[in-house]
Amino acid sequence: MEYILEMKDISKTFPGVKALDHVQLQIRPGEVHALMGENGAGKSTLMKILMGIYTKDEGGEILFNGQPYKISNPKEAMDHGVAMIHQELNPILDMTVYENIFVGRELRKHGLVDNKAEIEEAQRLIEECGLHVSPKERLRNLTVAQCQLIEIIKAISINAKVIIMDEPTAAITEREVELLFGHIRRLKEKGVAIIYISHRMDEIFTICDRVSVYRDGQYIGSGDTKDLDEAQLIKMMVGREITDVFPKLDAQIGEKIFEAKDIVRADNKVKGVSFCVRKGEILGIGGLVGAGRSELVEGIFGMHELSGGEIFVKGKKVNVHSPHDIIKEGVALITEDRKVTGLNLSGSVNDNIAMVAIQKLVTNGLYNKNKARSASMEYIKKLNIKTPSGDQIVGNLSGGNQQKVVIAKWLLNDPDIIILDEPTRGIDVGAKRDIYLLLGSLVQQGKAVIMISSEIPELMGVCDRIMVMCEGKLSGEVTRDEFSQERIMTLASAIEV
Amino acid sequence: MKKTKSAKALISEYFIFVIFIALVIVLTCLKPSFIQPSNLVNILKQASINGILAFGMMFVIIAGGFDMSVGSTVAFAGILAAMLGQGQYPLIVPLVIAMLAGLAVGVVNGVGVAVGDLPPFIMTLGTMTAVRGLALLTSNGKPITGISQEYRAVAANSIAGIPMLAIFLVIVILICSFVLAKTVYGRRVYACGGNLQAARVSGINTTLIRISTFAIAGLLAGLSGFLMTSRVTIGQPTAAESYEMDAITACVVGGVSMSGGVGKPWGVVIGCLLITVIANGLDIMGVSSHWQKIVKGAIIVLAVLIDVKGKSKKN
Repeated sequence: MEYILEMKDISKTFPGVKALDHVQLQIRPGEVHALMGENGAGKSTLMKILMGIYTKDEGGEILFNGQPYKISNPKEAMDHGVAMIHQELNPILDMTVYENIFVGRELRKHGLVDNKAEIEEAQRLIEECGLHVSPKERLRNLTVAQCQLIEIIKAISINAKVIIMDEPTAAITEREVELLFGHIRRLKEKGVAIIYISHRMDEIFTICDRVSVYRDGQYIGSGDTKDLDEAQLIKMMVGREITDVFPKLDAQIGEKIFEAKDIVRADNKVKGVSFCVRKGEILGIGGLVGAGRSELVEGIFGMHELSGGEIFVKGKKVNVHSPHDIIKEGVALITEDRKVTGLNLSGSVNDNIAMVAIQKLVTNGLYNKNKARSASMEYIKKLNIKTPSGDQIVGNLSGGNQQKVVIAKWLLNDPDIIILDEPTRGIDVGAKRDIYLLLGSLVQQGKAVIMISSEIPELMGVCDRIMVMCEGKLSGEVTRDEFSQERIMTLASAIEV
Repeated sequence: MKKTKSAKALISEYFIFVIFIALVIVLTCLKPSFIQPSNLVNILKQASINGILAFGMMFVIIAGGFDMSVGSTVAFAGILAAMLGQGQYPLIVPLVIAMLAGLAVGVVNGVGVAVGDLPPFIMTLGTMTAVRGLALLTSNGKPITGISQEYRAVAANSIAGIPMLAIFLVIVILICSFVLAKTVYGRRVYACGGNLQAARVSGINTTLIRISTFAIAGLLAGLSGFLMTSRVTIGQPTAAESYEMDAITACVVGGVSMSGGVGKPWGVVIGCLLITVIANGLDIMGVSSHWQKIVKGAIIVLAVLIDVKGKSKKN
């Protein structure tokens, strides 16, 4: 038997949309198989069918171990040995590690939950994984990477033959990615097949053996990663060639426009950081998750209390007590989690774009809907936001387009300093490129951009200067002519070296 | 590091218990009659019906829901029990019918929420109104009198000085605590409220779990209706107005999180005793019932405030 899993001729129709059109997938035992394609290509839908979350249309078949695989819910999928680690990690934060590992298939003794056995078994699994947490710890107190390992442990503990990982590295840092890859290699040796979904090219070539590509609900092709290169893969995914992944526009770097001196946060997550940015400059902030990068910009932006430090915008000292204080000086912050702090998901594109600069859309003291509509239309065109109309509910747009809406709402306010926190997380190649080009054109207009990213290639591709943070402090700064991945990694983990 | 954290956590976890003990001491000092056995028995009696309702409510809230309809269900079940408890049937008949009626309301709530995907507030607001109507319709809008001596005795009697009502409450507490803490079902109730999506993709039948929590709340509301009719000796269609609010108060004060997934049975016991003791204490000190309402309102807000502050510190 060559394949552990075969999906043949699978289609899925949602009302009005054909999400999958006669697609296929073959997985060999012990391989890491990448699924690639832009958002909306149908990868997630295909995996949800495999997990029993969606049912496929009539016709087509799924073979598991050569046997027909008929399931109707996630439990049956797991009983067969198929587990999924979801993109938006789903830990039950108020439950303990061991409770999370065994949720849905609790160990029993005389019909009751056998806590003792669960704790012991969890302890064994945790040690096997090289993780240092107590089984009785609540997930609320764990880092994202640790929560992810708990999910992997969960998958291992059901003796999964096939584990689906949907964007497993989206929220963790490069060093944690290395750890994750170690776990993946160990699983491979045991003959477990991994279906790996990611937008990050370098990962595909590092960890994956084979790749299948989908586009607009169609199956495009499969191949061994060693026979393919990045350009070929992008061409398969996008359907056209993209030559430069990180376009960099020339801009004139001018005078200092923003400066932060000795910023200390009241909760001590940032311990005295100073930096500045000039007109026409893209400043990158690198570092590991938990280094205090988001905490720094959120502190500056008035989202959290500062216990020390000074902020100067265009040479003027600004006392920041709430975001309002700094927004009116021309600073914008595009936050890390667009769904939580960026968007009104049940509002329309127009409503969202009008959220910040609403004062500009007022006539005679009243909100002017026509003004809002035309302003929104302008940005939909400018940023290439793919939406049927400005009245579309933002929650229905893809991740990349949602991100563009967040950016649009800030640009409408015409800020001079734009801070972006992980602006390209979880969005596809095409949308990423649009965002890089946009940042380039903003600095060409003499604005300044500060961008936080965990992807070092991205920072090196688009920034003029990168400052690196580690454990709440600035650990170093690198200018464009000195950029190197090693240098930045070393600075990011400076304190431990 | 570990030790100091757990000491802090301990204080915040047992905060409500400390408050309760302090309150009992203060009341005893102010009015020594408070601690007399007859008053304590009275407190137990007052606490029991709300306690039983609060335990049903606890299941719903932990699973991430909310139930506005239990007050109406108490009245409706109470009417049915009064009509069937005139001595014409063995007492088990009104008891079972009252509980089945409650169960039916609960299942309707649960199906509306878990299958119909309605917000719990809206669904149970609907049944709250409709079931009250049902109670008025069944009784023709009038109180049902004439329940049998045997039926009256249920609430009036005591065993070894402990009122029967309190014994019912203790039985409910024991069963519910056991189910939540020890059974697979209990664990899954927490999982549903903690993260519904995660519970679903972990293979839990979340629809069934959510329906069942509303069913438990309904069942216990039915039991409360049966007991209440015995206690007041008539079936009143307008009875138990806003009892759902008292049950929710007991849960919230007892540390059950309104966002679901968190809550301990002993907390609800204390929450329930605390609000009863406050009412009783204000009563024996001669504070008007108008003031009592204001105090009760302030307590709800304070309890949640402490809960929220405690949580934000943890993060």
